[in-house]
Amino acid sequence: MKVDDKKWIRFRIYLVAIFFLLCLAAVLARAYQLQVLKKDDLISIAKQDYIGTRKLPCKRGTIFDCKGRELAVSVEVASVFAHPRQIDDKKSTAEQLALMLSLNKTRILNKLNGKSPFVWIARKIPPDRANQIRAVNLKGVGITSEIKRFYPEKESGAQLIGFVGQDNEGLEGIEKKYDHFLSGPQCSLVQFRDALGRAFSMAESMPSDREMYDIILTVDKDIQFIAQQSLRTAVDDAHALGGTCVVVNPKTGEILAMAVIPEFNPNVYGKYDPTYWKNRAVTDCFEPGSTMKAFLMASCLEGKAVTPETNFDCEMGKYVIGGRTVHDTKKHGVMDVKEIVMVSSNIGAVKMGLKLGYKNYYDYLKKFGFGSIIGTDFMGEVGGFVRPAANTRPIDQANLFFGQGMSCTSLQLAMAMAAIANDGKLMRPYVVKAVVDKSGRTIQETEPKVITTVLSPETARKATEILECVVSGKGTASRASIAGFHAAGKTGTSQKVDPNTKSYSRSKYYATFVGFAPSYNPRLVILVTVDEPKGIHYGGLIAAPVFREVGQWALNYLRVNPEITVAEDSAEPQKNNQDKAHVVEVKADDNETEGALPDFKGLGIRQVLINGRSLGLNVLVDGTGLAIDQNPKPGACLKDISTVTVNFRPPI
Amino acid sequence: MLDRRLIENWDWILLLLLLLLAAISIVNLYSATYQIRNMGGSQIFVKQIYWYLLGFSVFLIMTTFNYYKLLQFAYPVYFASVALLILVLLIGKTTSGSQRWLDFGPISIQPSEFVKISIVLVLAKFFGEGDRYHEYGWLDLLAPLFLIGLPAFLILKQPDLGTTLHLTAAALSILIFVRLNWKSVAILAVPVICMSPLVWFVLKDYQKARILIFLNPDMDPLGAGYHINQSKIAIGSGQFWGKGFLHGTQTRLQFLPEQHTDFAFSVLAEEWGFLGSIILLVLYLFLVLWGLNIAKAAKNRFGSLLAVGIVSIAFWQIVTNVAMVTGLLPVVGIPLVLFSYGGSSIVAIMASMGLLMNISMRRFMFSDGAGLPEK
Repeated sequence: MKVDDKKWIRFRIYLVAIFFLLCLAAVLARAYQLQVLKKDDLISIAKQDYIGTRKLPCKRGTIFDCKGRELAVSVEVASVFAHPRQIDDKKSTAEQLALMLSLNKTRILNKLNGKSPFVWIARKIPPDRANQIRAVNLKGVGITSEIKRFYPEKESGAQLIGFVGQDNEGLEGIEKKYDHFLSGPQCSLVQFRDALGRAFSMAESMPSDREMYDIILTVDKDIQFIAQQSLRTAVDDAHALGGTCVVVNPKTGEILAMAVIPEFNPNVYGKYDPTYWKNRAVTDCFEPGSTMKAFLMASCLEGKAVTPETNFDCEMGKYVIGGRTVHDTKKHGVMDVKEIVMVSSNIGAVKMGLKLGYKNYYDYLKKFGFGSIIGTDFMGEVGGFVRPAANTRPIDQANLFFGQGMSCTSLQLAMAMAAIANDGKLMRPYVVKAVVDKSGRTIQETEPKVITTVLSPETARKATEILECVVSGKGTASRASIAGFHAAGKTGTSQKVDPNTKSYSRSKYYATFVGFAPSYNPRLVILVTVDEPKGIHYGGLIAAPVFREVGQWALNYLRVNPEITVAEDSAEPQKNNQDKAHVVEVKADDNETEGALPDFKGLGIRQVLINGRSLGLNVLVDGTGLAIDQNPKPGACLKDISTVTVNFRPPI
Repeated sequence: MLDRRLIENWDWILLLLLLLLAAISIVNLYSATYQIRNMGGSQIFVKQIYWYLLGFSVFLIMTTFNYYKLLQFAYPVYFASVALLILVLLIGKTTSGSQRWLDFGPISIQPSEFVKISIVLVLAKFFGEGDRYHEYGWLDLLAPLFLIGLPAFLILKQPDLGTTLHLTAAALSILIFVRLNWKSVAILAVPVICMSPLVWFVLKDYQKARILIFLNPDMDPLGAGYHINQSKIAIGSGQFWGKGFLHGTQTRLQFLPEQHTDFAFSVLAEEWGFLGSIILLVLYLFLVLWGLNIAKAAKNRFGSLLAVGIVSIAFWQIVTNVAMVTGLLPVVGIPLVLFSYGGSSIVAIMASMGLLMNISMRRFMFSDGAGLPEK
């Protein structure tokens, strides 16, 4: 019997042993699940929460202009933070901080009373203020040096360059597009914080080994400045909504300047509405209007549909097509292609276009880069729209011939014009010239690239001749003429579509001018748009003067020798006298009296041009080297002179 | 007393297991309190060594007499410990909202730890002394259920739900070794099971929250779910090989709550990885199986039941604690036996281990006791 009892107990013990074994196995399996199967999830949670990196704004590479001048730099500033849970007397701490930082006391106190174990009290303050706080040595309050991005050019080129956020991450423009090159080693503050948010080691973590690069832009700081300034003045004078000004080197596709109004200061970007941050020259489309006649004309010439001398009847201002009437602003009779473009006749354009054929014209437009994204360096670039032949009515086709019913960006229009200027070759526009490392070694360099050849050099030359006439005294853009140079271009004045009525507005216009100079061997393509100018709204009156101002200054700045044969171009010298001299300050010689022509002898071409133009004179240059002679002679009364010819000889 | 024969039968395996666990516990506590060593943390680690020294002394004392003599003392010990529980409710020290401690100047003791042994003792007496072929009906079970229920109720009032449940589970485990009239058991068990959902309504808010959090740990990760999430993160981030001694980030940075007491296992798992977890759990497994082996080999029913009860105490504590810190069970405040910091817990468990050793040593004794009559 006793044996039975033993067996009975043993049996129970085995049962219990198996049960215990199973339970412990279950617990072990759970440990296996957590530590082997789910470990990656749990590790990452552990890292983000507990190793507690608070990223510090990382250092960034510098952005330089094409001449190596700084456009965006990183400077060291200090930031004040607090660990509220370490602070015993929050009220007095808040009071002291408020006093030293001239901040609102309640605001600081609210931060300290919040749930977060770590708060920034003030970021990016001058180092001397930070030192003041450091001297007081408040409990739970710390100071760290941070890197702040600074844009010395402020508004100038802001939309193109972009800006960075609080943590120095690129948010817009080149700063964002090239963030992977610019952003430097990631540093972290308070690498170690415990569960209560107490930082027990304030050391900055080892920076990541990411290398940081500088970026050299194609933009020229000075040209950008003048473009921005001229555009700003034009937009202000016209009480317009905004505008763009794009300056391109037609031979390479380098963007020399890209100005956008309304503008913002990237150093305090937060104070502006985000719509100001947009680089409207690439993100916004508009109807190009009459400027497209330049490309229609070039396409017709290239397609051998017309010659510059082909005549068309312009129907005295009214022409019915597809049940709609096309109007001209002035009544014209029979004109040749050159005249049609010069006076910007819609009817003439329609007739030229019909001769080329819509399909052919569409193909040319695509080749010119319309309807597709052509750049790579820009944030938010759009491609615009051109209606394919398949779904068009006759009136749509007619509209397209004078630039309605399609849309494009400022950049596209400028590049298309650059194609005409560049012997018919469309270049890829670019902003970043090179990426260099800290030792100055070039990591990446952008080579000029031909996207496609649109026109033969012959056609391009013929088109240039015609576009030159537009800028002549008889054309719509006489105000675009640049003293001393031949310039070519085309105006545009397009009606904006009223979003309410869905039809063309009678009061809202888009004034455009796009052209290049010098006409032959061009150095600059300049595009100007002005959005909704009030009162006078013609592109030739609103936009063309900006072209002249920027072109005149930039050609001079680039030391382009004026073409001496332009003497006949001074048909309107009185206008030149009104030109304001900007940026360049004139140093008149002391012994010269007001209103008398100075002696240029011994000066270089550049100095003569600067001095002469600052007096409102057309300066005609003959020869190279230093000035030896001039006509009229020194001392002549300025009121009587509009042009001065200066002879140069190379010094022996 | 200790004669030569007893020394020959000294259970070296049990002693070895206990020494290993003590060593691991102390090393682990050193790490768990490393970060707070400037704030009295080193005292905790040193204190644990003292507690263990005291524990081993008690362990030795517990082997010096024939355990069968305890039959006489079962009820006095039991009622003395219940009296202590009542004392706790009257003059106990309140920490974190519950009254669990009796304060004796520099040290405080937690009577509920000692009550566990006394219950096991009294139940072993109750069932071990009786007619071994007697089938216990439900009327027979009223007395032992009262013996379990009285201290359980007193501990629940502290309140300490974890210990209450643990104590009940360990005590009921002894019933497996008793011949029960299953119909009678059903009469008792069915109403209890049916009523159990009503328990929800008597639970305190924080207890309800723990159960809800157990069901959905992400419900409130920074509030009620904090403990368990932190623990899982610590354990999981230890991976297979662990982060290394003193290199557990969650531990060092004190993200892990109660890391020297209830969540000590998480510290080990973080720093020593799955490997460390296996080693510790396998040690526990050995301890439990060895304890059952002792129960099996015991000379009499009282010894068997006493050994089974002691093993049950340890077993439930191990499983509940590890299941809790790994998120398999709701958070209940149960330390890991022989591992977590806690003087009362160490001394109490070492006392019961001493009894286990006692039973093991006397497995070859002829009679059921030294001259004590068997009923």
